Amino acid sequence: MFDSLYIAWKHLCFHKVKTLILVAAISVTLFLPAGVDALVDECAQQLRQRAAQTPLLIGAKGSETELVLNSLYFESNPPADTSMKALERVQSSGYAEAIPLYVRFRAREKPVVGTTLDYFSFRELRVGAGRQFAMLGECVLGVDAADQLELRPGQSLLSQSENVFDLAGAYPLRMNVVGVLEPSGSPDDSAVFVDVKTAWIIAGLGHGHQDLGEDASSDSLLEKDGQRLTANASVPTYTEITSANVASFHFHGDPVDFPLTGVLAVPEDRRSRALLRGRFQGTDEASQIVEPSAVMEKLLATILRVRTIVLVGALLLSVATTLVVVLVFALSLRIRRQELETMRKIGATRFAVFLIVAWEILVVLGLSGGIAVSLTFLTRQLSGPAIRWFLL
Amino acid sequence: MRSANRFVPCWLASFVILCTIGCAESESRSGHDGTKRGTPQVYTVNYPLAFFAQQIGGEHVDVRFPVPENQDPTLWEPSVEDVTRLQSADLILVNGADYAPWVKRVSLPRSKVVNTTEEARQEYIDGVESVTHQHGPDGEHTHTALASTTWLDLQIAITQLRSVKDALVKLVPNQSEVFEGRFVKLETELKALDQELLDAWSSDEPAPVLSAQPVYQYLARRYGLRVESVRWEPDEMPDEEAWKELAASLETTSAKAMLWQTEPIQEIRAELKRLGISVVVYSPASNRPKSGDFIRVMKENVASMINSRK
Repeated sequence: MFDSLYIAWKHLCFHKVKTLILVAAISVTLFLPAGVDALVDECAQQLRQRAAQTPLLIGAKGSETELVLNSLYFESNPPADTSMKALERVQSSGYAEAIPLYVRFRAREKPVVGTTLDYFSFRELRVGAGRQFAMLGECVLGVDAADQLELRPGQSLLSQSENVFDLAGAYPLRMNVVGVLEPSGSPDDSAVFVDVKTAWIIAGLGHGHQDLGEDASSDSLLEKDGQRLTANASVPTYTEITSANVASFHFHGDPVDFPLTGVLAVPEDRRSRALLRGRFQGTDEASQIVEPSAVMEKLLATILRVRTIVLVGALLLSVATTLVVVLVFALSLRIRRQELETMRKIGATRFAVFLIVAWEILVVLGLSGGIAVSLTFLTRQLSGPAIRWFLL
Repeated sequence: MRSANRFVPCWLASFVILCTIGCAESESRSGHDGTKRGTPQVYTVNYPLAFFAQQIGGEHVDVRFPVPENQDPTLWEPSVEDVTRLQSADLILVNGADYAPWVKRVSLPRSKVVNTTEEARQEYIDGVESVTHQHGPDGEHTHTALASTTWLDLQIAITQLRSVKDALVKLVPNQSEVFEGRFVKLETELKALDQELLDAWSSDEPAPVLSAQPVYQYLARRYGLRVESVRWEPDEMPDEEAWKELAASLETTSAKAMLWQTEPIQEIRAELKRLGISVVVYSPASNRPKSGDFIRVMKENVASMINSRK
């Protein structure tokens, strides 16, 4: 028995190249469907997990997918703006706690997430280095954002203009980095967090400038008529918020009209969730309320359809590879006919010869199976970080 | 049997260790700053709210009013350390009506902030001070200010008191009956003061009164006063121009009293007396009084208002 295995092994070792090609081809054929399955499973699980942790989202009517991807992953184009009115509606209903999200701007390609401190409690995010933002103009970075931008507390980060051709638009804001979050293994790791009021300043809804009332000698002052002051466009607008100028920062307009890209609603129970959903179901409703997990399931259904197509392709490939492998073994036996006859002539039984060939096939299949199983195991182990890197 | 005996202490030790770890975790969860806090912390932006919270919450809450004594809470600017402490509070009571502008410039957990005049939003007095200016590409815009000493209208003060009580009940639900009882007692006192002022001042014609600082808008509206404000400091003699302006305004108004937040210096009092104007100290009690409490200060205010009519 073991003599046959020994001879088979020696034969395979002698024909190294042929053996390696066979093992590689069979391994890949076996691994492909299992690997794809593992990757898609991991991807779906991660998308579902983030969505499941987010009970309800409210935004302006439009694409549900954009709203969810923007609010959960800070990716995709920003959805149409909703306003603080939507947040006030949720808050005043008493059915849920409302957390504002304003994810429109970027700083060195990282998403700037305007929110409140409640977001950190809700997502259980903790500050690893430095402190939480406290004043206007301060920001806290996700751990990956801090690593990639090579920033740490005490340094600063400039916001990007939304449109580089909008010369009359809001000035970029130099934000002070005051903290870096602990790793969370979520899209929060790659984001720049600011108070929603700071995000509104980036949007140009608030600004700080010299006090025209106090500095009557200013060159920028064109006219002063009682309480009415008119200045030209040269009034210096501060591009960084410091303790010296923070008191001059102010907002224009009614805060309830200020924009948000989404409102994260956290209801206390299922009844509150249902009642809150009912509040946003009117036909003339300008806002939409979505369950991220339901939206994500729709998105995943598309991904799962793609998986089926890939799996069918992989199975067809497996059939083709199997036929090729059978052909290789058949041709190999035909070429080795004289060698096998020689074995018979020097005393090997017919069964012993059969055993040698069978061992050769089994060893090749066994090695291929082992490699395929190892690759699948590795994929399952490493797909989490890989998918996170790819998705986030 | 012997091995079983050996296992019992091991299990007990493990149980104790696990309990200790569990307790340590729950302690660290009790406060954002990682310290254990027995009673919930309540921060307020002015003294009246601190008084209301303390009177209703009593020993069940730890009320903190971070503004130093002798400083106007509307002008106070918190440091980063102050804001960090505020962020770890269990409840932050703000006045609303743009009182304490620093609230808009700092990051506070929205879920813990309660605007005590939310129910009285319709009663805000707008456009007290407005500056219209234009600069930059946005064109002309106006900065208006709301009158913010809302509690001088004691009806609004009662609304704020109710709001404080509701917030405290939400914070410490098992003491709701106690809080309700204390609320009713305080409400009764405020209602009585409100009625006294109404009886003394309300008439068909609004009574003309001068005020040294523009903080009495809600008082004027509630109790039928026609207040004309100047901007005088109680410890600084106004210049000649200011007195001339006052004399000119006295020609159009028959005001016989001037409201002050604190006692003015003797020279001012004498000059006002010469002009036939009596000094009425009506303290808004924005910060902690040197003696007494909010109710006592309000009682003194009401008494001096009533005396000024005699």
